[in-house]
Order: sequence, then C-alpha cells, then structure tokens
Amino acid sequence: MSAASPNTPAQDALLRAGIDRSLRHPVMFFLTSGAAWLAVSIVLGIIASAKVHSPYFLSEWSWTTYGRISPAHINTLIYGWGFQAAFAVIIWLMARLSRKECTSAGVILAAGHVWNLGVALGVVGILAGFGTGLPWMEFPAFAWPVLLVSYFVIVIGAFIQFRVKPEGHVYISQWYLLGAMIWFPWVFITANTLLHVFPGHPVMAAGINAWYKSSLIFLFFTPVALGTAYYLAPKVTGRPVFSYTLAKLGFWSLAIIAPWAGMQKLAGAPIPFFLPYVGAAATVLFFIPAISASVNILRTMITSKEAVAASPSLRFTAAGMGGLVLLAIAAVVFNLPNSTLPLTQFSMSGYGFEILALYGFFSFVMFGAVYFIVPRVTRREWLSRRLIKIHFLFSVYGIITVALVALFGGLQQGIGQEDWIQPWANAATRAFPYAVATTIAWCFILFSNIFFFIHLTLMWLRLGRRSSHPTLLGTHHHSGNPHGVDGDIEVAGPLQGAAH
Amino acid sequence: MSLRTFILGLSASFGFAWLAIIVVPYVKMRNLAPITLSEEADGATGIFYPKRTGRIANGAEVYAENGCYLCHTQLVRPTYAGNDLYRPDWGGLKADPDRGDTRRETNAYDFSDEKFAQIGVSRMGPDLSNLGRRVEAIYAVGQDPEKWLYRHLYNPRLLPDRWESTCPPSAFLFIERKITGNPSSDALPLSNDPTLEIVPSPDAKALVSYLMSMKKDQIVPAILNFGPPKK
Repeated sequence: MSAASPNTPAQDALLRAGIDRSLRHPVMFFLTSGAAWLAVSIVLGIIASAKVHSPYFLSEWSWTTYGRISPAHINTLIYGWGFQAAFAVIIWLMARLSRKECTSAGVILAAGHVWNLGVALGVVGILAGFGTGLPWMEFPAFAWPVLLVSYFVIVIGAFIQFRVKPEGHVYISQWYLLGAMIWFPWVFITANTLLHVFPGHPVMAAGINAWYKSSLIFLFFTPVALGTAYYLAPKVTGRPVFSYTLAKLGFWSLAIIAPWAGMQKLAGAPIPFFLPYVGAAATVLFFIPAISASVNILRTMITSKEAVAASPSLRFTAAGMGGLVLLAIAAVVFNLPNSTLPLTQFSMSGYGFEILALYGFFSFVMFGAVYFIVPRVTRREWLSRRLIKIHFLFSVYGIITVALVALFGGLQQGIGQEDWIQPWANAATRAFPYAVATTIAWCFILFSNIFFFIHLTLMWLRLGRRSSHPTLLGTHHHSGNPHGVDGDIEVAGPLQGAAH
Repeated sequence: MSLRTFILGLSASFGFAWLAIIVVPYVKMRNLAPITLSEEADGATGIFYPKRTGRIANGAEVYAENGCYLCHTQLVRPTYAGNDLYRPDWGGLKADPDRGDTRRETNAYDFSDEKFAQIGVSRMGPDLSNLGRRVEAIYAVGQDPEKWLYRHLYNPRLLPDRWESTCPPSAFLFIERKITGNPSSDALPLSNDPTLEIVPSPDAKALVSYLMSMKKDQIVPAILNFGPPKK
C-alpha cells in the first residue's frame, strides 16, 4: 500500500516516524483511557448480567440497581471504550494515509480529556439516578453538547489533513473513516436535538432512539472497523486489497442501506406503518455490505497465511471479520417479519446483536489496530506473545458465548413470549439459563482483558522491548515469532524502530 | 473521486433516508390531526381527547431513571406484529365485569403527557400497558391496589407465587423511619421493629401513580379501532 510518492524510502521512513511521534501522546491517551473504560464496562457488565438471574445481588443501594448498572455498562462500552479506540485509530490512520504530521496534538489531547470528563460525569449521572431513560443516550442531557464539541475538536485535524494531503490515490480506508466522521455527527445531532431540544410525538421519539442505536453500529462503528481492517490486511500481508470493485460496492451499499435501518424495534408501535418494515429490510440487507467487505478483507489476508498466523494484528482483525460475518447472518436471521422479528423484537437477542457488533466485530478489529499502532508510536515492541495469545483466546471464547447465547437464548425466550396460551412466567423461565451463561462469558472476557490492560499499561509506560525488529515486517517473519528475533534489545535506533 | 463528489454522494444516500424516515415523519407526527368523533360510529360527537390521571410526568421520570424500560415494554402489538393481544390481560381484560373484552392494541394517543414513549428494549418482565388495570382487577382483589404495588416494588418476590421473579427489589425507593405520633397510613406492613415504619418516598409515590395510570384499554373512536367487532 505504498502511494506514488516522490520520496525515497529513507525520507518516507522519516516522514512516518515523524507522524508517529507527533501523534504519540493523543493516540496513547485514547487507547489507555479507552482500555480503562473497557475494564469499567466489563465489570459493570458482569454485575448487570448477574443481576438478571440473581436479583438480590447488590440490591441494597439505588446506584447498583439493574436499571442503572446496565445503562452504565453499555454507555461506558460505547462512549468510553468504543469511541476512544475509534478516535485513536482515526487520527493515526488519517495522518498516516494523508502523509501529514499532526500539528494539533495538544488540542486533541485537551479535547480528549474533555470527552473523558463528559463520559465520567455522564456515568456518575446515570448511577446517581439522573439518567434520561433513552437507550444508549442515558447520559444526562448536559453530556451530549460536551461530547459533540470535543468530538469535532478531535477529528477536525484529521479532516483537514485529508483536504491538504498531496495528490494521489485515496485508499478505501480513508473513504470508510471519512464516512464515519461525517455520519456520526449527523446522526448524533439529529437524535439529540430531536429528543432533547424539540419535543415531538413520544412514539416517534422512541423510533428515532432506535434508529440512533442502529446508526451508531452501522454508520460509525462498522465503517471505523472496516476502514481499519482495510488498512491492516494489505499493510501486514504486503499484498494489495483483493478487489477494489468489491470494496467500492461494500462502501456504497453500506452508505445507501444502513441509514434506513433501526426502527424494526418498533414493529407494531403506532408510528407510520412503513418505518419498522423498512428498518427490518435494511437490517437484513446489511448482509450485502458486510459480506462484501469481510470476504474482501479475508481474501486479502489468506494470500499470506503465515502472516495471519504470526501477526497478532491480523489474527484479531481476522477474528473481527468472523464477527462481522456472524453479525451479517444474525441481521438476516433475526429480522424476518412474520417469523423471527416478532420473536426477537423484545428478547435478549437484541443485546446479543449489539454486543456482537460492539465487541465481536468492532473491538476485535480495534485490538488488531492496537497491536499494530502502539509499537509504532511508543517505539517499543510488545513484551510477550503469551499475553497476546491469552487475550485473543479468552476474548474469542467469551464473545462467542455471549453472542450465541444471547442470540439463540433470545429466540427461545421469544418463542416463550409469543406462546400466549402459557402463563407469562414461562418466557422468563426460558431465558434464565441463558442469563447465567452470559454472566460466565463476561467473566471470560474480563479475564482475557486483564492481560490486555497489563500489557498496554507496560507499553504506555514505555517498558516495551527495545528491538530493531519491528513487530510486523510484512514480508518475512523470523521463525514465526511476530516480534522478530529476540535479544536485540538496546540496539534499535530511533529511525528503524519507528518505521512502518 | 474528489472529496466534493464523495461528500455529495454521502449526503444524498444518507440525506434521503434521513428525510424520509426521520425528519418528515417526525414533523408530521408532532401535530397529529385531531380525531372527530362521529355520531353513528362512536355514539358521541366532538373531538377525541383521551385523558390520563396521575403523576404521569414525575412517574415517567422515575421509571426512566431506574431503567424499568430495560425489562418491561409498554406496547401491545397488533396481531400482524406479535401475539400480545391474545394474552388475557395485556391489551386490556378478556372478561371485564362491566365492559366484556376490553383488549386493544396500543395507539398513538396512549402516551399523552409523556416526553418519550417507553416502548422498551426487552421483555424480561411482562408488558405494562395495562398494569393499572391488572393490579386492580387481578392482583390486588379486595386490597388497596396502590399498597399492593408498593409492596411489589419493595420486593417483587415477597408473594409466595412470585418467588421466581427476577425483578430487582427497589427498597431504595422507600424510607425506613421512626414512628412519631400515629403511624403513616402508607406504611408497608413489613417492618420487624414496632418503633420503625417503612414508607414510600416521593419517588415511589410518583412511580406508583404513573403505573396505576397504565389503563390503556379505554374505548377508542371507530377510526382507531382495528379489532374485530366485539360481542
């Protein structure tokens, strides 16, 4: 993926090292604070999940009631971890692909602190009982302007870099990231102004909220993850993207289909009849952009099987693509009007779908990016293959359990809900074992991420290995070790260590 | 492709959907045309203006703040979208002593006085559209329905036949205080200490008032009545 550039390889390496250095503090800030929020979110997720089957657990205090812990869990996962990981990736990838150093690291860092403050106050607001009661928008109303302004300050630099970049090829990654950067504020401003500022019909407000949730997944987290995967796969394997036509098809079909999705959660509600069914159709059709992109990226990867085996970035990204395939299948299987939509509309499969999207797809690609970016911006290599492997395996086991259990448990629960001849308690009984399994799976995810947090903290403290062998040289992997040959500590010069 | 074409393409693909499913329906639904009752179909004249009584706004706030919408819905779907209407006590009462079968689907007027319709995200618990009706007619026969709800909120597993409920106890909505003078008439009969009483907080009172207003089975104009003719 080398652009037609007048630079010599040495100048090129210097430029990349300069970009990495200019972004070191903001990128590491977003990744470490994002990871900290991920830890908070997983712990809250375990507590919330446990309360679903054991209601007496931590039931004495108002701030630990299920109705506050659960929104705190999902909001920290989205705004604490998801968005901050996305910010790190957006500012770094856009700078690298536009070949421009970041000149506003201090401003981005300041805005990042404001974002974190907004999230922290929002979570405290939810736990203290000031939540708004709008799913995924539970932060008290003061939070959204704070988040919006800091969002603009964080990404505006990346947008300007793209505008002033030297002439040349525009990568598919850039389309996806730019798309996410434009869609998100549009969706966010629409939903927040219509729900907080201009009161409308209460049922339509619920429809807009459902559309907001769906749009965050399909028009922010999906394009950010795909843009990242479209960067990592060719970069690490050293091969071009399998098909640029397919990539374009994937992007534009997402742009055309995804904005219609979401309101199927209001099927049967008193809003215009077409809205929920257009939403269901669009969610089913999400299969097209999802499969075009995941097949394209996976085909790019398998041209170099040894790279997939050796590189932690590729392995996580490949798993994320697996998550996307599963998400695409779930989008079809669980949204068929007249068969599965009435069953799953109000069951735990909604949660399963969201977690599959946020963790099984988006977060896995973000982990892949973390394993790629952090050594470059810190100029240190990851310490231990074993820590990475544990992180990978337990995350995969955990997320597969959460997603499958919630998706199919939701289907079972839905069958119970729709069986109107039986008493209502039957539906609740059907959901019970799946709720227990979800708690156990969240524990797996916590276990896996403890290793990730420790590893990332050590890297942040610049205690990584100093080595002249960058993690991923793309073309040759020494004896299958993603770090290259061990034992070259302290010989790396700043330039070689930072290149690529 | 230049950045301009790209942004135009994005604006067109997103903007069309945005107008069609967000902006236009939102604006149109902001001011629903009033329904004029007709003499022969409804047996009344004038404008359909459903009223709800109770502390709707305050109670809805407590409902939202404590995440009730995570497990309870407020939507009785028409039969094309689900089987909710067949349940004997969800859309109304199958056998109301005075009115017979009162079941009907949720309509756009059922959420009057609320900012946000808590349609809900999952049904770990039952639908609440007609909870007030249910409490009065089924759960709390021969008792004070509000007292029944207070006790249920304090601990949903208190009643022996509800021991399997996974509804979280909301004891934090109640205040335990020393009895001074006469005991409160609202006090729950649950205190072990004769000098203490457990009384609902203002939040609990607002919430129960809101929940008791959940009686969405009143007669609707013929134009909103999609059910089969009832005997």
